[in-house]
Amino acid sequence: MSALIAIHLEPTEVEPANHTEQTTCCYCGVGCGVTATVSNNQVVMVKGREDHPANFGRLCVKGSSLHQTQQSPDRLLKPQLFGQDVSWDEALDYSAQKFKDIVAEHGPDAVAFYLSGQLLTEDYYVANKLIKGFIGTANVDTNSRLCMASAVVAHKRAFGSDAVPGCYEDVEQTDVLILVGSNTAYAHPVTFQRIVKAKQDRPHMKVIVLDPRRTATCDIADIHIPLAPGSDAYFFNGLLSYLAEHNALDHDYINAHTQGFDEALAIAKTQAGSVHAVAQACDVKDQDVAEVFALFAKNVKVVTVFSQGINQSSSGVDKGNAIINCHLATGKIGKVGATPFSITGQPNAMGGREVGGLANQLAAHMGFDKQDDIDRVATFWQAPNMAQKEGLKAVDMFQAIDDGRIKAVWIMATNPVVSMPDADFVKRALEECELVIVSEAIANTDTAKTAHVLLPATTWSEKHGTVTNSERCISLQKGFLPPPGETKHDWDIMSIFARKMGFDQGFNYQHQVEIFREHAALSALDNPRKRAFDISAMADMTEAQYQTMQPIQWPVNAANPEGSKRLFSDGYFFTPNNKARFIAVTARMPVQPPKVGEVIMNTGRIRDQWHTMSRTGTAPHLLGHAAEPYIDIHPEDAARIGVKDNHLAELSNRGARFIGRVNITNAQRQGEVFVPMHWNDKYAASARADALVNPFTDPICGQPEFKHSPVAIKAHNTQWTGFLVTTQDVVPPCDYWAKITAKHGYKFRLAGSDAANFDDWLQQLFPAITDWQTLKDSQQQHYRAAGFIDDTLVVVFNSEQGNNMPNEGRWLETLLGQIPNAMNRFAILAGNEGKGGEDEGAIVCSCFQIGTTAINKAIKQGCDSAQALGQKLKCGTNCGSCIPELNGLIKRATGQT
Amino acid sequence: MTQKKLIIVGNGMAAGRMVDELRARDAERFAITIIGDEIHGSYNRIMLSPVLSGETTAHSIVQKTAEWYANNNITFLGGVRVTGIDQHAQTITCDNGNQLDYDELIIATGSRPARIPAKNQALAGVMAFRTLNDVDTILQRSQTAQHAIVVGGGLLGLEAAYGMAVRGIKVILIHRSGWLLNRQLDKASGKMLEKVMASKGVEFRLGVEIDTFLGEGHVTGARLNSGEVLPCQIAIIATGITPNAELGLEAGLEGNRGIKVDDYLTTSHPNISAIGECTEHNGQTFGLVEPIWQHCISLADRLCLNLQTAYQNTPVATKLKVSGVQVFSAGEWMTAEHHREFVYSDPARHIYRKLILDNNRLVGIVFFGDVRDGQYFFELMEYGVDVINAMPQLLMGRAFCAQLPEIQLQPDEVAA
Repeated sequence: MSALIAIHLEPTEVEPANHTEQTTCCYCGVGCGVTATVSNNQVVMVKGREDHPANFGRLCVKGSSLHQTQQSPDRLLKPQLFGQDVSWDEALDYSAQKFKDIVAEHGPDAVAFYLSGQLLTEDYYVANKLIKGFIGTANVDTNSRLCMASAVVAHKRAFGSDAVPGCYEDVEQTDVLILVGSNTAYAHPVTFQRIVKAKQDRPHMKVIVLDPRRTATCDIADIHIPLAPGSDAYFFNGLLSYLAEHNALDHDYINAHTQGFDEALAIAKTQAGSVHAVAQACDVKDQDVAEVFALFAKNVKVVTVFSQGINQSSSGVDKGNAIINCHLATGKIGKVGATPFSITGQPNAMGGREVGGLANQLAAHMGFDKQDDIDRVATFWQAPNMAQKEGLKAVDMFQAIDDGRIKAVWIMATNPVVSMPDADFVKRALEECELVIVSEAIANTDTAKTAHVLLPATTWSEKHGTVTNSERCISLQKGFLPPPGETKHDWDIMSIFARKMGFDQGFNYQHQVEIFREHAALSALDNPRKRAFDISAMADMTEAQYQTMQPIQWPVNAANPEGSKRLFSDGYFFTPNNKARFIAVTARMPVQPPKVGEVIMNTGRIRDQWHTMSRTGTAPHLLGHAAEPYIDIHPEDAARIGVKDNHLAELSNRGARFIGRVNITNAQRQGEVFVPMHWNDKYAASARADALVNPFTDPICGQPEFKHSPVAIKAHNTQWTGFLVTTQDVVPPCDYWAKITAKHGYKFRLAGSDAANFDDWLQQLFPAITDWQTLKDSQQQHYRAAGFIDDTLVVVFNSEQGNNMPNEGRWLETLLGQIPNAMNRFAILAGNEGKGGEDEGAIVCSCFQIGTTAINKAIKQGCDSAQALGQKLKCGTNCGSCIPELNGLIKRATGQT
Repeated sequence: MTQKKLIIVGNGMAAGRMVDELRARDAERFAITIIGDEIHGSYNRIMLSPVLSGETTAHSIVQKTAEWYANNNITFLGGVRVTGIDQHAQTITCDNGNQLDYDELIIATGSRPARIPAKNQALAGVMAFRTLNDVDTILQRSQTAQHAIVVGGGLLGLEAAYGMAVRGIKVILIHRSGWLLNRQLDKASGKMLEKVMASKGVEFRLGVEIDTFLGEGHVTGARLNSGEVLPCQIAIIATGITPNAELGLEAGLEGNRGIKVDDYLTTSHPNISAIGECTEHNGQTFGLVEPIWQHCISLADRLCLNLQTAYQNTPVATKLKVSGVQVFSAGEWMTAEHHREFVYSDPARHIYRKLILDNNRLVGIVFFGDVRDGQYFFELMEYGVDVINAMPQLLMGRAFCAQLPEIQLQPDEVAA
């Protein structure tokens, strides 16, 4: 006994020491280095890694909250088969057998993988190898299709290789920074911070933003060009002809290192031959266009950053090339502070492209267009069933799932039921599919709900491997926590699956480093400067070197053992004749213009959420900035449909509805609305924006037109508005709800289009509660209720007729899941602690309603008899029943003092 | 200057307070005689309930002892009943044959328990709960009694039932209405009160009446009109009060249920005033203490200072004196079609608060269990303040409102 006590008294036994780990953030394509402090198998703090070239110590709000998104109540911890917990063997036996049967009966093209830019490079590599080399189909695509496909093809067309020429330093060292279709402030916050700092340090640096919206990024813009959605290629074609017109071309560079200039210029001139023509096409001011063109022409150091505003388009590839054309024509590429710069959306979109994890890629920057490449890869992999042709890209893949050509799909680390265009169609397609396997960290994503087989995967801080960010920088994202429950790494899950399918060779990896070495070796194979992606210098890496790998930018080869900040500095490109290609771009507008009465719906990220919120949605403070799905709308449009600020409006298209809170703003162009892309059925009643997006794609790269969907719009018929604060994750049966994670549960904002009997409504939603308190109004203008289980506050509901939200009183959230004292319990339906006035304490004098607070105060001020108290407060002067109590209070007070 | 002779008939709470108010204004003006049919000096009748429940003692509620009267030169005739008034001769006659003359007469004879239609009420043990004497009797019987019946679910009945229940007697309260305090509470709050009282050991039969009391000499039980027979050794009848107006009415003063008084408490005869529960003012009789204090003030002002302080009928809030049970009710208590009501209800904690509005102004307050700010609401009601902008927050109490409705005096009151 005493020995045990002695052990407990040992302080070192009680508090295990903290330690730190170097890793990377799992969110956007900036790819920041993160220093994580670990204690008791928990990340307790994160900081930006000082020596990481992506961020040099900075982190954005999402990254800074990584440790607060560790404990999801919805974490998937066990494999499931048809909704039942099963063993790994059962789950994978079933899956592998089913895959084998389908391939045997219908051929390999009847199966598919749908991957994610959230996967690590090693996971990606194994997936690509398994399906293309062993199962025998290139039906493998990824959510990178939704974000980077246009840039990939633009790069390949221009450079002969999917390679970003520049690096983050260039955005700091340039003199003219053009941000096109990029709300950098929200989507790539750390890069934005670097730009802000650079502009402070070098005030002559000009920042130009091309975006139909006046975004937060415009705060630092010298010029904002609010161009018509989708008109970007007119702008850059116009720039090309302006450069030619104003003698701003670099003829030496064009002659020495490029081809196809004349054709490109010819088309540019016919389409956008003058500043005025450009201004007309883009619906902006002549003067602004002229100013930007002149800045581009006069400065050598120009960086054009482009992102989803360019890529997510039915002509995204051409837009990318229109931008690159201008840089090639002026030689503004491969130099410090001069480059076109495609900035990626996801943490490892680039890594996926390196391994070739897309349907129209093969592996390691090789393609299906060369038989040599196919044979080389087949030999390297010792592949028994090498795919010979491109597979189906995302939109076509889900179409094939719907029409039955694809009968089995394995989705990893992504949520296409929310993120794909025409998302309701995708949902139905999956619901009808013969076999849906989903590898996930979260059990109940909208996509996981469609799975027959649900496989628990490790996630950030558990999984271990490499990622590549927007500037080609490879970093180790470290696994330092033990996998919880029965979770496994994705590469491990796929390797077991492969062996169960009968592929005994090729999937016996014991450690990630083995996969990485194989990947590096493949990049080196027959690659004497033929393919840009070359990390041959890493092919013999030891496990120890891997574990301590420092961030490094590819290519990493004999010539560049320390990596390469910039590409193409010497004018050498990866085309057959090693010259860059101009692409003759015929600018075109989005596929479908809006009909009368429709508005153009634009979609995008908000500052504090990531993708479909399965991680960031669990951190209360990340919902503080924007808590609900919303609709940014121009004042004229709001007036036209008769909706007020903060009320609800609804958008509809393809039978899907988006209901969001209206934010009236001049930042929107008239006739256009913006909605966030993140909300989904787990967090809102009807706010899957992508369900309204038409499945129009770029004909070359297959990327969908997310930024331009003509939709119907109207004010929502709101009869009542309210909120629900509860410890239970419920699905409120009403038109509109948005779930906001709170510290001890959830807050829902609600609205209904028909009158409800709230007593019944609440009882059905919370059948276990019998202890309710209510506040009702006979005119039903107000209804409030609070429900308790064993005196613990489980739910508070507060509603009002009309459009205005009752005061929420954050104080309520602090009581949730607690047993409130009598005072607080009473105050719940008032919604505040009652600090508006002094708590009168227990009533002593009923006649004059005098409480202990006032009486004790009077006693302190010298009232030493019941009579004195009566003179001062009137207590005891009516019926006199309280005089004994008054005397008691006097005795107690004087006895104490 | 010779003192005028002032006689006060009756020595209840009104008389006690009247003496104080007179003396506070002019102790020498009148030679005061008080005649009461109880032998005690003036005591706090409201406190009979705590005496019964044992929360205080009989001794401590007597406010004026025989010694006090003597020391203050007041003639106190205890145990004496006044049988007649001759308003022309300005004399009164007592049951002991004495005749006294007066310059000013104040009738403060109070009230008596109302009768019920039950048969066999003359049995010993069937009694009222009105005087110290009643309490003495109940306490004596409590020593041996095991069962008691209380008739009447009003304030007094509930207090009596509670008082006996805490003394370990099994009490059943019988009430004609479907819920308790049906003149102060609505059904929801009345039912809540029933639960709370039940937890304090009182049982109920509601919606029934006593058909007949059973027993030979002493009461042993009662049969209800439902047919149920209940045992009891004590039966307390507390179904309301009847003004003791006969003395005045038989002397020729005007009045109906009570002796009619004007705004200055003068009866139809200028030398005779009346105060308290024996009176009626604009057709209204009294049962609670607050308006009676106002009677005393108004009358003292007139008699001593020749000041015309008009008494006005104002709504009165009801409070229940049962330990741990809070009731506050004023104005309307049942919501009508044209009313708007706001109701907070916490059945598990037995809390109920209802405000009744008519044209955005309070016309009724029914609070049970948590009566905070009752007096404040009472004032809002009295002053007819528009409270709609503070609703529904205000229902919970002042402390929860960022912006309180302003109570503004009516222009004529400001002028006065």
